[in-house]
Amino acid sequence: MIRALKLEWLKVKNYRVFWILISMYLLALLIIASGGGLFLTWLKNQGADFNGIDPTIVPIFDFPDIWQNITYLSSFAKIFIAFIVIISVNNDLTYNTLRQNIIDGISKKEYLASKFMMIVSLAAVSTLFVFLSGLINGLFYSHVWGIDVVFAKTQFLFAYFYEIVVYCSLAFLLSLIIKKSGFVIVALFLYTFMFEPIAVAVFENAPFFRDGIMPTIAQYFPIKSLNNLITIPFGKYIFREIQDYISIKSFLISFGWLLVYILSISYILNKKDLK
Amino acid sequence: MKTTLKIQGLSKSFGRIKAVQNLNLSVMPGQVYGILGPNGSGKTTTLGMILEVVTPQNGSFSWFDGMPNIEARKKIGAILETPCFLPYLSATRNLEIVAHIKNTDTKRIDLVLRQLGLFDRKDDKFKTFSLGMKQRLSIGAALLANPPVLILDEPTNGLDPQGIAEVRQLIVDIAKQGKTIIIASHLLDEVQKVCTHFCVLKYGVKIHEGAVSETLGEINKVELKSENMKNLAQLLEKFEGKEKIENGGNTLTMTLKDGYNAMQINEFCFNNGIVLQKLSTHTNSLEKEFLKILKDHD
Repeated sequence: MIRALKLEWLKVKNYRVFWILISMYLLALLIIASGGGLFLTWLKNQGADFNGIDPTIVPIFDFPDIWQNITYLSSFAKIFIAFIVIISVNNDLTYNTLRQNIIDGISKKEYLASKFMMIVSLAAVSTLFVFLSGLINGLFYSHVWGIDVVFAKTQFLFAYFYEIVVYCSLAFLLSLIIKKSGFVIVALFLYTFMFEPIAVAVFENAPFFRDGIMPTIAQYFPIKSLNNLITIPFGKYIFREIQDYISIKSFLISFGWLLVYILSISYILNKKDLK
Repeated sequence: MKTTLKIQGLSKSFGRIKAVQNLNLSVMPGQVYGILGPNGSGKTTTLGMILEVVTPQNGSFSWFDGMPNIEARKKIGAILETPCFLPYLSATRNLEIVAHIKNTDTKRIDLVLRQLGLFDRKDDKFKTFSLGMKQRLSIGAALLANPPVLILDEPTNGLDPQGIAEVRQLIVDIAKQGKTIIIASHLLDEVQKVCTHFCVLKYGVKIHEGAVSETLGEINKVELKSENMKNLAQLLEKFEGKEKIENGGNTLTMTLKDGYNAMQINEFCFNNGIVLQKLSTHTNSLEKEFLKILKDHD
């Protein structure tokens, strides 16, 4: 596994595009983590009003709620990590280095392992980064303290890590199917943020589907099941009930998707003629 | 180790096109084996299958008498068609990846780059290289792990005449170290100059196989000239190794039977009182043989 990861590291460590994307991603995370206060100010300026409460005093940085808040927001930035995966797989296809690596003496399984290890490492780095920025912001703004509250609900960090791994595996699969990286990036972006959310919204709310089986089926969609892991936490600040735990059902559904992705990647790699 | 490579009944089609059909081949250690054939005859597909980047439909192959393929590939230096490296990495960095895959010491990188005249450019990005330099770098990558077997697909493609001569010399030098080399080429004189054995593919079918020296040595012609051509012609009619004599005006061209050579003619003429002005043996070029083989299978 370390060997597989080192192969990937040798490919990216002097690759400028990789470092640019990583920096953009970490910057995005930083803005998300620290920008919560700015966002609330913006809400206030927009005239938002939480039942008479000024949005800027909402305790979004309080432990342990901060973990759900920060991971929920950060999960939108996972598409940057997916871009890195897409570009790296695409490079191996367009420059034929996948073929050359195999000729030089790795198995297709090792290739899969090298990309998957890269995904896991990127997810781990992101999670660590989110953890640290949550910790730092909490140290500054949290009204509550103590080891027990600081480390409560850190399962959201695990869910965040897991979400990136599953999502990037999807990006890996798409890059193998569609060979043009630009096309994969656009397709993944549109699907994640438009096609599937719109479809889900229609199935859940349209009178024609609402009472049938479609809202249940929609929970099994690839992006929806991931989004269900860390749901929007901000309802609690207007005294609505929220899902403040990781749903085992969504975890299992997305795990099913992860298996589908990995098995499909493995199937395609074994089947493909690398001309 | 008895055989380096054994291919049995290997077949592959792309849609309706039968790229390789029921191919059987054996390559022994120390051979320089040329796979000849016109463009599109299945050479690269064959190499792709034995390197596991193209999935065969039928048949099997084994390296080093059944060594697992992944282990075997680490002992093989191979280039297939165009050089494949990451354009944004330098020559050294690209070779580091190869060294990592092959579990080789990175110390050999500089050595190989020097050997191929790329040392001065070792820190330049691959994308800045000319085609000839790219080709040389891929040969360098193949040589990096100092493997006992080399597979070269059109190794002189895109090189200038000097580069072609250098690469051919390199191949001959490597062959002298006792390494096994498999070369796919459509350049006949390349195969003639460096190979010991060869096969010919056409539409994915093997139509000929043999040692280069045997194929070229099959027909033996001698060109002769002396002061009195008439006497010479009469005399040669009596030579027991004679197969056929053609009168070319200034010279006579005699085809010899198996087992006879120029020395015997010289001796024969001298003993019978004719001194030869010119005596030269003609070996056939592989090109003629190749065209003949292809024509026979039309």
